[in-house]
Amino acid sequence: MSDFRTSQNEAHPNKTNTLMTGIILMLILFVTIQIWFLYGALNNALEDNFFFAVITFIGSFLFALASFWLLRYLPEPLKDKPGKKK
Amino acid sequence: MEQEDPEKIPNWKSDFPIQSKKASHVNRREFAKFLGLLSGALALSNGGIVIKAIAFPSKPLEGEHFVCHENDVPVGKMFQFSIEGNKVVPYMLIHLENTEWRAFEQKCTHLSCAVRYIDDTKRIECPCHHGYFDADTGEVLQGPPPRPLPQLEVVNKEGKIYVKEMKS
Repeated sequence: MSDFRTSQNEAHPNKTNTLMTGIILMLILFVTIQIWFLYGALNNALEDNFFFAVITFIGSFLFALASFWLLRYLPEPLKDKPGKKK
Repeated sequence: MEQEDPEKIPNWKSDFPIQSKKASHVNRREFAKFLGLLSGALALSNGGIVIKAIAFPSKPLEGEHFVCHENDVPVGKMFQFSIEGNKVVPYMLIHLENTEWRAFEQKCTHLSCAVRYIDDTKRIECPCHHGYFDADTGEVLQGPPPRPLPQLEVVNKEGKIYVKEMKS
């Protein structure tokens, strides 16, 4: 018997792949910006620029939250239905 | 009560697979989770910088420190010394003209290499990546250093050279 999920998966067979690629690309973007922030904070902290360190920390923290939130949307691995032949 | 799915592979089984191929395989889900973990670690380390800045603020140099006698350093030469406080900071004293003295921190602001004074060009050179500083002001003239060299005020008291915190 076919249900909504099955017909969705059949209509868009690459959906999982696209979602996964999109999430990984966004995560890489977030991590890259965080590395940039960290590098800047390390360099500016030497000059006693406390304000810069705080701002980059807040930004980095928000990006970390966004990364964790994105992980919720990781698609589940596709499972073969029992008895279904490949 | 939630019923266990008999088809579901328990976590311990997937963590310790029988086939070595499966043990070394990193799928995209795991990679994405690792990126999430890395993102958290980066945010934490950024927080560490803030905590360090609050807990250990850099203190200005207190009082005057004797360095050497005026006659010890000829014109155009430099003299290396260090001041011990929370940590030992290397400095250099430069005798520019007869009455002109400068004292700078001897660590390049790029990657903390030891800098040296070149009298021919009247510049301070970082030999690691060819960064150049103005020997008069400590400003960056050329190369990768992002900031000028930290400077101390030099006081000449009857032939004795002292340094103290620069008044801004």
